[in-house]
Amino acid sequence: MSSLFSALSIATGALAAEQGAMDATTNNVANVNTPGYSRLVPVLVESDPVTLGSVRYGQGVTLQQLESVRDPILQLQIDQETQTQGQLNTFVSSMQQAQVQFTSSSTDIPSQISNFFSSLNQLSADPTNVSLRQGVLTAAGNLATVFNSTSASLTQQRASTDLNVTQTVQQVNQLTGQIATLNTQISQLQGLGQDASSFEDQRDVLIGQLSGLIDVSSIKSDNSLTLTTSNGTALVVGGQSFNLTTQTNASGYQDVYAQGVDITSKLTSGQLAGLIQVRDQTLPGLISNLDTLASGLANSLNTANEQGFDLNGNAGTALFTPPSVSGQGYAATMAVQITNPALIAASSDGTAGSNGNVAVLSAVQNANVAGGQTPTDYYSSVVANVGNDVSNSSAELTSSQLALTQLQGQLGSVSGVSLDEEASNMVQYQRAYDAAANVVTTVNDMLYTVINMDTLTV
Amino acid sequence: MSSIRVNPFPMPDLLAALEQLQQQTATTTLELATGSTINKPSDNPSGAAEVIRLNASSSQSDSFQSTIGSINGQFSTADSTLSSVVTSLQSALSLGVEAAGGTLSSTDLADIATELTSIQSQVLSLANTSYQGQYIFAGTATAQPFVLNPAQPSGVSYNGNTDTNKVTIGAGYQLQINLPGSQVFGLGSTGGDVFQSIHDLITAVQNNTGIGTAVNEVDAALGNVTTQRTFYDDAMNQAQSQQTYLNSQSLSLSQQLNTVTAANVATLASQLESEQTAQTATLEAIGNTPQKSLFDYLS
Repeated sequence: MSSLFSALSIATGALAAEQGAMDATTNNVANVNTPGYSRLVPVLVESDPVTLGSVRYGQGVTLQQLESVRDPILQLQIDQETQTQGQLNTFVSSMQQAQVQFTSSSTDIPSQISNFFSSLNQLSADPTNVSLRQGVLTAAGNLATVFNSTSASLTQQRASTDLNVTQTVQQVNQLTGQIATLNTQISQLQGLGQDASSFEDQRDVLIGQLSGLIDVSSIKSDNSLTLTTSNGTALVVGGQSFNLTTQTNASGYQDVYAQGVDITSKLTSGQLAGLIQVRDQTLPGLISNLDTLASGLANSLNTANEQGFDLNGNAGTALFTPPSVSGQGYAATMAVQITNPALIAASSDGTAGSNGNVAVLSAVQNANVAGGQTPTDYYSSVVANVGNDVSNSSAELTSSQLALTQLQGQLGSVSGVSLDEEASNMVQYQRAYDAAANVVTTVNDMLYTVINMDTLTV
Repeated sequence: MSSIRVNPFPMPDLLAALEQLQQQTATTTLELATGSTINKPSDNPSGAAEVIRLNASSSQSDSFQSTIGSINGQFSTADSTLSSVVTSLQSALSLGVEAAGGTLSSTDLADIATELTSIQSQVLSLANTSYQGQYIFAGTATAQPFVLNPAQPSGVSYNGNTDTNKVTIGAGYQLQINLPGSQVFGLGSTGGDVFQSIHDLITAVQNNTGIGTAVNEVDAALGNVTTQRTFYDDAMNQAQSQQTYLNSQSLSLSQQLNTVTAANVATLASQLESEQTAQTATLEAIGNTPQKSLFDYLS
C-alpha cells in the first residue's frame, strides 16, 4: 500500500542515490589527470516494485555500484604493444649506439686498411727507404689499433648492457612485488563486496610498466590475477610474487632465472628481451665479424710477409701477432709483431732493393680474406647489416609507437574522464537531487496537512 | 547518446606527431649541414656500404697516383742520366773519329786518350747515379753497381744484379720500373758494351792501332744505350697515360659517391620549410586545444 512515508522513503533513497552519483562525478573530476585512472559511472537501478492488487508501486532508485569503465581486451592489446615497444626501443637505442662504431670517418677501419695498403704502394717505389718502411709499420699499428678500439667499444657496450639486464630484473621484481600486494588488497576488498577500482587502476598502471620490461601474460580469475611470462613461468600468482634472479654464465654475463629455470633465451619481448638480444646476439655477432676480418687480414699478410725477404736478406716473419685458428677475440688483441722496419719483407729474392714481395703483400687488399670476400667488401657488408638492423627496427618501432598511441587513444575514449560529460552529469544529478529534495518538502507539507487536519481552519 | 565517445585527451597524439616532426626536421637539418644523405649506416644501409667501397677504390686510385708520382722522379732521373751517357758517348765517338783520321801527332793522341779516360770516368759516374739513395742501374742490389777494376777486360766490374722491380699502378697493372745496369750498359755483349768499347778506344788511341774498329764498337754501344733508353721513355709514357686514366677514374668515383650520398639542397630546403610549417601547425593545434569545458559555462 502506498503511503506518504513510503513516498518519503523513496525520495530519501533518491537523494542518497543522486549523492552517490555525484560522488562518482566528483571523483572523476578530481582524477582527470591521474594516469591510468578509469572513469567511474554510477549504476542506478530501479528498486524492486511492490504490487498490491492490480497496482504496481515503484520503490524508487538504488545506487547499485560505482563501476569503473574498462576495456580489458584493449588493455591487453596495450600491454602487448608495450612489450613489443619495450623490446624495439631497447634494441634501437643500443644499436644506434653500436652503429657509431661503423659510421664513416677518416680513422675508421676501411680508412686504416686503405692507409696500410697505400703505405705498401709507396714502399714499392723505393723498397730500401727506411722511413717508408716505418710508414708501413705505423699504418699496420694504426690498423691493429682501430680493430682493438672498435672491438673494445662493442665489448664495453656489451658489459653495460649486461648491467642493464641486472637492473631490469630488479625493476621487474619490484613491480611484481607491488602487483602481488595490490592483488591481495583487491581480493580482500572484493571479498567484502567493496569497490576496489582504484587499486585495479594502480595495478593496470604497474602491469603496463611491467609490460615495458618483460613479456607478460595476465590471466584474471574472480578476484585474483596471475601474471606469467609468455613461456608460462609464473611471476605473480594472486598475492604471491616470484622473483627473477640472475646468475653469471660461462661467458661472464648474467643469465635470467625464474624459480631455478634459465629463461634467458625464452624471453621474447619487453626491454629485457631487447637487452638480451643485443647482448647475446647482435653485439657478439659484430665483434665476431671484426674478428673474422682482423684475423683474415692478419693471416694473409703474415703469410705474404713470410714469403719474402727482409732488408737484411733474411726470410720474412709474421707481420702481426698470429691469430688463433678460429680467430675468436682477435680484433681485440691484434698487434703488430715486428718492431724493426727492416723486417718488412719487401724483397722477393733476398736482395735489399727488390720490391717483388710488396706486390704479394698488396694483393691481400683484393684477395678474399674474410668470409670469401675482400676486406673492404666484407666490412661494407657488415656496415650494411648494422644499418639494416637499425633502420628496420626503427621503422618497426615507429609503427609500434603509432599503434600504441592509437590504442591508448582508444582506451582514453573508453576510460578517460571528459570534463564536459562530468559537467553535464553534475547538472543532471544536481537537478535530480533538487527534485527529490522538493519531493521531501512536498511530502513534509502533505504530512503537516495530515497532522494538523483538525486544527486547520477551513 | 552517440555510440563513439571521443578521446578526451588528444594531447598524447599531438605530442607524438610533434616529436616525429621534430625528428624529421633534425634529420633534414643534419643532411643540409653535412651535405650528405648518409650520416650513419641506418640512413641508407646499402648506400653506406657503397660509400665504403667507393672510398676504398678512390683511396687506392690516389695511392696509385702517388706511386706514379714517386716513380716518375726515378724515370726522369734515369732518362736524363742516359741522355748524358749518350752525349758522352757521342763525344767519345767524335774523338775516336778524329783520332782515326791518322793525321794527329802522338801528343794529340795522348790528349785524346786523356780526354777519353775522363769520359770513361764520367760515364762510370753516370752509371752509378742514385735516386733517393738507391742506385738506379743496380738491378735490385743496393751496392754501388759499377766500380773500376783493372782486372776486368773492360776495366769496370758490375756489382749489381740482373733483377728488376715492378710497381703496381692500377688494379692488376704492374709496370717495370728499372733495367739492370748490365743490360743498359750492354755488359759482356759483343759490340754493345759501353765500358768495354770506351776501354778499347782508349787502348787503341794510346797504341794508335785499331782505332777504327774501336770507334765502331763505341758506335754500337751508343746504339745499345739509345735503344735501352727507350724503355724509360715508354715507361714514362705508360705512367703518364695511367695517371690520366686514374685522374678520370677518381673523378668518376667522386661523381658516383656524390650520386650515392649528396643531398639535394633545393629539395632539402623545401622539405625543411614544409616540415617547419607542419611543426608550426601542430604547435598551433596544441595551443588551440580547448582550454574550457562545460564547467566554465555553468553558473
